[in-house]
Amino acid sequence: METILRSKEMVEITFLPIRHHSPACAWHVKQVIEELRPALLLVEGPCNANELIPLMTDEETKAPFSVYYSYRDRMGRISGEKGHYRCYYPFLDYSPELVALREGGKLGIETAFIDLPYAEILAATRQGRGLLQDVEKPNYNDDYLLSRNRYLQQLCEKAGLRSFDEFWEKYFEIRGIRETSETWFSHLSTYCELARRDTPQEALEAEGCLEREAFMAARILEHAKRLSVRGEKAGSDACRRIVVVTGGFHTAGLKSLVSGEQKSDLQKKRIGAEDQEVYIMPYSMEAADALNGYASGMPCPGFYQKIWEGLEPGAFPYHETVLDMLVTTGKAVRRKSELLSTYDEICALQMADGLAALRGKPEPGAYELRDAVLSAFIKGECNLATDQPLRILKEQMTGRQMGKLGKDAAVPPIICDFEIQCKRFGIKSRSVLESEVTLSLFAVEKHRCMSMFLQRVVFLQTGFARRIKGPNLQQKKDHNLIREIWKYKWNTQVSAALIDVSVYGGTVEEAAVSMTKQRLQQDMDAGTGAMLLTQVFEMGLEVQMEPVYQRVHELLLQDADFYSLTRALQYFLDMQRLQGLYRTHLELDGLTMMCCQKLITCLPSMTRIRDEDSEKCMNACKLLYQITGHECRSLQEMFFEALTVMEQDTQLHPGLDGCIHGILYGSGRETSEDAAGACRSYLLGTHEQLLKIARFFRGLFFTARDLVFIGSQFTGMLDHFLGSVEGTEFMELLPELRMAFGYFTPGEIDRIAEMAAGLHGKTGEALQRAKEVLPGWYTYGKELDAYVMAMWKD
Amino acid sequence: MEAGKLIKPPVEVRYAQELEALRAVDDGIRPENWKMSPRAVRTFILGSREPIEYNGRSYQIQKKYFGNDALVERCIITLAGNRGLMLVGEPGTAKTMLSELLSAAVSGVSTNTIQGTAGTTEDMIKYSWNYALLLAKGPAREALVPAPLYIGMEKGVITRFEEITRTPAEIQDSLISVLSDKVLNVPELEEDGFLFARPGFNVIGTANTRDKGVNEMSSALKRRFNFETVMPVREAALEKQIIQNEVNALAEEAHIQMQADEDVAEILASTYHELREGISSYGHRIDKPAAVMSTAEAVSVYYQTMITGYYYGNGSISVDALVQNLVGAVSKENKEDLEKVKAYFNTVIRDKSSKEGGVWKQYYEAKKWLK
Repeated sequence: METILRSKEMVEITFLPIRHHSPACAWHVKQVIEELRPALLLVEGPCNANELIPLMTDEETKAPFSVYYSYRDRMGRISGEKGHYRCYYPFLDYSPELVALREGGKLGIETAFIDLPYAEILAATRQGRGLLQDVEKPNYNDDYLLSRNRYLQQLCEKAGLRSFDEFWEKYFEIRGIRETSETWFSHLSTYCELARRDTPQEALEAEGCLEREAFMAARILEHAKRLSVRGEKAGSDACRRIVVVTGGFHTAGLKSLVSGEQKSDLQKKRIGAEDQEVYIMPYSMEAADALNGYASGMPCPGFYQKIWEGLEPGAFPYHETVLDMLVTTGKAVRRKSELLSTYDEICALQMADGLAALRGKPEPGAYELRDAVLSAFIKGECNLATDQPLRILKEQMTGRQMGKLGKDAAVPPIICDFEIQCKRFGIKSRSVLESEVTLSLFAVEKHRCMSMFLQRVVFLQTGFARRIKGPNLQQKKDHNLIREIWKYKWNTQVSAALIDVSVYGGTVEEAAVSMTKQRLQQDMDAGTGAMLLTQVFEMGLEVQMEPVYQRVHELLLQDADFYSLTRALQYFLDMQRLQGLYRTHLELDGLTMMCCQKLITCLPSMTRIRDEDSEKCMNACKLLYQITGHECRSLQEMFFEALTVMEQDTQLHPGLDGCIHGILYGSGRETSEDAAGACRSYLLGTHEQLLKIARFFRGLFFTARDLVFIGSQFTGMLDHFLGSVEGTEFMELLPELRMAFGYFTPGEIDRIAEMAAGLHGKTGEALQRAKEVLPGWYTYGKELDAYVMAMWKD
Repeated sequence: MEAGKLIKPPVEVRYAQELEALRAVDDGIRPENWKMSPRAVRTFILGSREPIEYNGRSYQIQKKYFGNDALVERCIITLAGNRGLMLVGEPGTAKTMLSELLSAAVSGVSTNTIQGTAGTTEDMIKYSWNYALLLAKGPAREALVPAPLYIGMEKGVITRFEEITRTPAEIQDSLISVLSDKVLNVPELEEDGFLFARPGFNVIGTANTRDKGVNEMSSALKRRFNFETVMPVREAALEKQIIQNEVNALAEEAHIQMQADEDVAEILASTYHELREGISSYGHRIDKPAAVMSTAEAVSVYYQTMITGYYYGNGSISVDALVQNLVGAVSKENKEDLEKVKAYFNTVIRDKSSKEGGVWKQYYEAKKWLK
């Protein structure tokens, strides 16, 4: 805590360095504000959130919540990509900023955020640094500045501590609550100054720190000026007092700027407010936990929340919280039917206290708690099977609280649209009980519209609805179903998720369109791109789809993988055929044609495929045959030419060979005699080739199984083949043969059996009446044979 | 006992001066019957930054246990409490060493030890009789021969139980009531037959989890212990340091005037580390051998190589001997392990030798001994 007296304005400015999310810090901030009673409280945070302050301090608003900033870079000011940007600024009950704002509200002090608006922070940051890092949930909070330097590493090493968080807990939290605010802030200032000294100027600039500080300093001076005018009128000292609450890392920079030791060159390139949005959204402890990868400051928010609640002069909040957590963890462990006695809990508490004494901490903290559970609750070697207590403890330390917003919270247009749509379809949008709805997808137009809406809501990952049953285009499943069954349920996460995607558009439909476009920008193969298009199809998005078609077109062009293209073609075909039923019309003709053409071009190179790919390839041939017969008739000749080219390769995969002969026969370009000739060439070939005939049959029956019933040629050849393979070889070929005959209906199988019986001078009926030869008899007969032979020889 | 005349002097003899100095300057609170405060025990095991001045000499306390510092702290606190301490983990992770260090620091003696085997009986743990005296005087205290558990309780010192899972389950269970009631009943001595444990008594057990032929502990016994899982060293750099320290200490004890070579220690540490983790520092995936690739094994391979060099090789360490000893160490469990090591040489070491050169190249050339 350092106070500067600006003689020019006759204003007293007190800087409070803070770490975001710290109970001790929040406590001291509260003390100082109560003591100083300043006229103005300035807090670090993008200033475009200023109008949210009354809402944040509202009694109905419950932490954890987060301020959500978004920016649509329509003009390409951040980068050429013109992307959507967003970031979160989470607040917990023990966030010093929130405590400052709440104190301000309580004591009637004017409060304001002083940082650059979100979009301008982005503009001041270099690509890949600070808020422009490629992370899932970018966080405004920049505590990482305090914990990443070399100075700290050495400090931890010297103190024998494991990490910055343990260092912080030991010196600033557990010891911190026993210090006066004066000492606490002076310790933190020292630490922050050292941390800053170790950070290169280049890094400060790249992360936008310098520009932000320049802006904040200018704001502080502006406010100081205003206050001094007002103070002169009022003539009181308290009216000229300002408290500035900022991240500790920035305090040193701000101080030198405000006191005039350093000059700033604030670049002025203001970005208008029109593309920037700021909302407040409920948050969860889980999302706030740094351990979950969101890096929002302190880990274990549930643990520190309890500390905050127990903080009062003379109390021992850490000891109480550790005991409380040990007992609740013990209870949860017992509920999972693991053996754990009260004595274990006693031992754990002893361990935590003992460790705290050994490590020189006045009370046990989060690290001692974890050590105590590890030592006293886990029986046997600590591994995945036994570390349940540790996992339970982690859940407890994370906490389960969910934030809640007051009624006056402004909602982004997308939520209004969501509510309107829900009302239109009679969906109970605020029902926390799960409801079910059945939609006659193809019979009732309203139902199809409702399904489109729900599909969009699912696509936006809101967690509001899920489809239980219905035709699934993505997985090519349940195409026969004509109804969809949906379940839906409201919780606060839904509105958080909707706010989260509000940057993509003002309505659910608009957001779904923008998100589709964005998702398509990622690297993917044509098959996946086409699958995404089926989602678009299900969502019934028809407007502004030109860029989407273009991108899928591009993906098709880039992709040279035969199977991925086949998948894409299958999706296109399915969609084209279902257009009428789904009442959605996508312009797929061009895409289908191109995909088809590309596949036919690739086809001749697919002759020497591996056995495991044969089925996929056969399917592709069949699909192309079907499609060139209907949708892409102009490509038919090209397709047959490709097949003829393939036929000329003597190393052609036998399955594919059979499949192609079947297609050629079916289209009337070959006679059954040609197919029989191909079959015979295997039959008369070397033994190796003979064995391949099983695959050939499979391919042939896949496309033209009626061949078998024309004359007795094929049954004769099959019979010949079966007669010339050995028992063991037959067993090896059996799976393939089974697959080949799997294409026939039971009636057809009967007919084949009858024909086969005819070849051996029996009738079908005789076959059915034939008595079973038991394996025992057969063995006996063989033995007898051998015996008689031996006797004869003698 | 004089340290110089023993193959491996016990910890309290080897570090007698350090312990004495620590005790003298120790001003922390000591649990009853402990020779030093928990904080001093920590310093003894984990080392101190500043040297300790005592009797006109300054003692730099070296770090003796590498790995997890928090684990050592938990062990100390467990010993001060009401429960036994059980160190579990893979073989060769310095469990025994840690248990010796702890008992030497806490009780001043690390030799009050039960060595668990499949043949351990209850009288080896509690007490037995001197039959001549028993016949002469009847069941009296003089005729009783105390075993480590009895001694620990009587004197208020720590009893170490090595390889507890090797002893049959029913023998392990004889500890249960002693650990909870802290009293041992000798029925033969009638009224005088109750031995109440004195403060300072506790049990440190060590147990292997990976070896063949271990007996599962009963839950009742498990409840009487706090468990600490000792993990293998996860950093190759630390492993290298451990190998160097240990080998130098062994050499000093055996009066071999040689120092561990840093490059060779690094090669050995990275070999053991990579084979254990199944991935090389260059990112190759490696088949893990079934044999235990512990740091202790690496130390013994290095030490053997050193002895070979000292007596046969003009006091220099030969990489050929290193590889030969490595073969001996890995081909204990099954033949396939050697194949895996060969494959390791043909991929990882080959690449390292071409990139790093120097000793790595010699090491790769020595692969001819892998057969």
